[in-house]
Amino acid sequence: MNITSQKEDNDMDIGSNIIENEKTFKTVFQDCSDVVFRDITIHGETRILLIYVDGMINSDIITANLLKPLIYDGLLQGLGTIDSVAQMCAQQLFPVLSTKKLSNFEQIAEFILKGNVAILADGEETVLLADVSNFKTRSPEEPFNEASIRGSKEGFTESLRINTAMLRRIAATPKLKLESMTIGELTKTDIVITYIEGIVSMPVLVEVREKLKGIHIDKILESGYIEESIEDTHLSPFPQMMVTERPDVVGAGLLEGKVAILTDGDPCVLIVPTTFWEGLLAHDDYYERFLFVSMIRWVRFIFAFFSVLFPSIYIVLTNYHIEMVPLELMMTIASLRERSPFPTVIEVFMMEFVFEGLREAGIRLPKQIGPLVSIVGALIIGEAAVQAGIVSAPIVIVVAAAGISSFIIPRFRFGYALRILRFPLLILSGTFGLFGLGIGMMAILIHLIHLSPFGTPYLTPVAPQIARKFTHLILRRPRKRVIETS
Amino acid sequence: MIKVSKLCLVVLLTVWITTGCWNLKEPDQLAFSLGAGLDLLEDGQLQLSSQIVIPSGMGGQEGSIGKKNKTFRVVSATGRNVYDAVPNIQLQLPRSLFIGQRRIILIGQRLAEHGIDDLFDEFIRNPQSEMRSRIYVVKDADAKDILAATPIFESYSSTELVDKQEAIGLKSYYFRNFLSDALRPSLQPILPALSLSASKQTVYSGSAIFNKNDGLKLIGFLNTQEAAYANWITGRQKRLVVTSFVKRGQGTVSLKLHTLDRRIRVKIVNHEIKIEVRLKGKGTLVENNSNLNPTKENDLRIIQVELSRITQKSVQQLIEKVQKQYKTDIFGFGESVHRHYPSQWKALKKNWYATFPGLDVKVKVELQCSDPGEANSSIKIIP
Repeated sequence: MNITSQKEDNDMDIGSNIIENEKTFKTVFQDCSDVVFRDITIHGETRILLIYVDGMINSDIITANLLKPLIYDGLLQGLGTIDSVAQMCAQQLFPVLSTKKLSNFEQIAEFILKGNVAILADGEETVLLADVSNFKTRSPEEPFNEASIRGSKEGFTESLRINTAMLRRIAATPKLKLESMTIGELTKTDIVITYIEGIVSMPVLVEVREKLKGIHIDKILESGYIEESIEDTHLSPFPQMMVTERPDVVGAGLLEGKVAILTDGDPCVLIVPTTFWEGLLAHDDYYERFLFVSMIRWVRFIFAFFSVLFPSIYIVLTNYHIEMVPLELMMTIASLRERSPFPTVIEVFMMEFVFEGLREAGIRLPKQIGPLVSIVGALIIGEAAVQAGIVSAPIVIVVAAAGISSFIIPRFRFGYALRILRFPLLILSGTFGLFGLGIGMMAILIHLIHLSPFGTPYLTPVAPQIARKFTHLILRRPRKRVIETS
Repeated sequence: MIKVSKLCLVVLLTVWITTGCWNLKEPDQLAFSLGAGLDLLEDGQLQLSSQIVIPSGMGGQEGSIGKKNKTFRVVSATGRNVYDAVPNIQLQLPRSLFIGQRRIILIGQRLAEHGIDDLFDEFIRNPQSEMRSRIYVVKDADAKDILAATPIFESYSSTELVDKQEAIGLKSYYFRNFLSDALRPSLQPILPALSLSASKQTVYSGSAIFNKNDGLKLIGFLNTQEAAYANWITGRQKRLVVTSFVKRGQGTVSLKLHTLDRRIRVKIVNHEIKIEVRLKGKGTLVENNSNLNPTKENDLRIIQVELSRITQKSVQQLIEKVQKQYKTDIFGFGESVHRHYPSQWKALKKNWYATFPGLDVKVKVELQCSDPGEANSSIKIIP
């Protein structure tokens, strides 16, 4: 059978002849060893065919509720007229929550592949589909890369339904809307757009809906596919969507009027729109006491700038504006530089390169050998390279300090942006000095101001300034105390 | 967007390649000059000495124990003016001279006596020049010798001379302060002076008085005590110790003053200028060899009055000495007159040089002992 005729078959509705139907399904699921065709004959006359994917369904339900009664007792009698075997199954035999009747081959096949069992009866032109899916999923654990000291320890899992349930638990209101859609010609991945009606910003919601509808792609393996398809520009190093594995972060976002996009099979949820500053805020900020949080926020802001600028500032000061460095420090730097063979810019580049390599190695290595990287890295890079006179000691400090400060950023992906930007700034400050660094910073600022993913300026609430939100950003203001009334 | 960024890149590259104005300098390509010393040689040539750092002598990490490497070297060259000597210094150095970290400027006595008003243009005009250098006059020695003196604590004698000002209780006095003093019409500049002890150590030795009406020539020195009073009047002293013999207590008393205040009042009565200098000081009694008990109010008052009287006498003497001997207004009395009587000052300005020696100056000193120290009466062995 060639492909075109198979396609035609798929578009067809099923007929009443069960043998024909079985044949068609067998062609559709040719060479799919996990698809099981189980047929039973009741009283030697009525033929029933079950089609399901092995491993995706709860076989207990089928054996206990369908096979046993039908095979032992036969069709139920005396319960009034039944239109069809399918209806009988749906109404009297199957204690499952979700059933539906379909007659289109393609749709039926899709549901079978998503964990439904299809029940075909001889002489009937509809198929009963019962959702008995029961695949193995991970139980909710604390997200590995979004740990928190205080607050919920549960994270999203790969199962869409569990994830939506978690959100529903956070916002137990019918206003929490979960719009479903399927994207991906081949993968048929379920996507859910969530928002809270009445709070959500409508233009954003409309834009998200339209953009998602406009995606024509054959596979969605991870939410990154969606992110890339709907983001405003690919060229910005800054992430235009927040990605989180924490239900409480999504909940907070929804309550602020944002839209979240959940993808089946992926614990990462996209939240749009996001701003630059949100990358520097952590979820704990809103759980801990405000004085400490306000201080730690400032530490973060300073370190964020530090992580981008520190190597560049070091180069600018030691190579162009030597008079600006305190004398004792300058003399120490000069004395340590005496032995190093390369220019400072090259040294910093080398070390940055090695640092990024080490970091990448740390991620890819299995947990057991992970510490090895840090030992080798610290010993070889930190000690030996300096002693061998390949790099000077201040460079190691500069690169390590900048590297560590990029890890302080709570949203890991914002750290990526800052780390990328370090390199162009290094080139600029190495060639043009403070002037070049200034130009680089201006370019970054112009880019940030220009960026407005999903209609929200990226630097809100600083530019455009929204006074109330601005103070809330730089000092997390405490919530109002409840005043006791007697 | 991409077009624009490409264009920017091309423009940047052309700027970088074609202009050649690449002022990148690695620290190991530079010879840091920490101190500049100016001397007048006997044949009338100007000698510029520079204290050059040897960074490898610092011994960054290892080998700091054991033999001590030389951390600096003094290089000298002559020239017709200051910058004329710089290329001559450069001839002796394998790295380019960098003066952006200069900490001190020293002026030799012979040069100072010759007049220094034609020396400072380079220090102001050269964009690399550091205006926050401290400036000293060298008494009875050459500036070069001071630069070459072995430091006690630090690696360079220049940085020690910077810290010295703080240690002896002076407020920071930068080169730029000296410039503004020298350019103000109603004040004569004084500079701290250094001399070399017999053991080749640098010693603070008071102040040098300049006369800017005559080419900024050095006209004399004040000793350390006089310099302290002069600096008190001009508001440049931070701390001061007053010691004197208290007659009624039959012993010496020392008062360490940590708050110094001054006020100069000017009155013109019948075209006669009357100046009243009020000095106030607060401090701790640190030594008491008299038989007075400073915890008793009466005795304390005796000590305070006595110390104030003696200090007042010394200050009065100093003012008279400056008026008679040097005839230069180092105290800034002209400044006070200018402030109090701006309209009259216009007429007085021209003749201030002549008016100053004959000014009627009254001094009032009020010393207060806010803390009698840890003991009451003096610890003396009772016979």
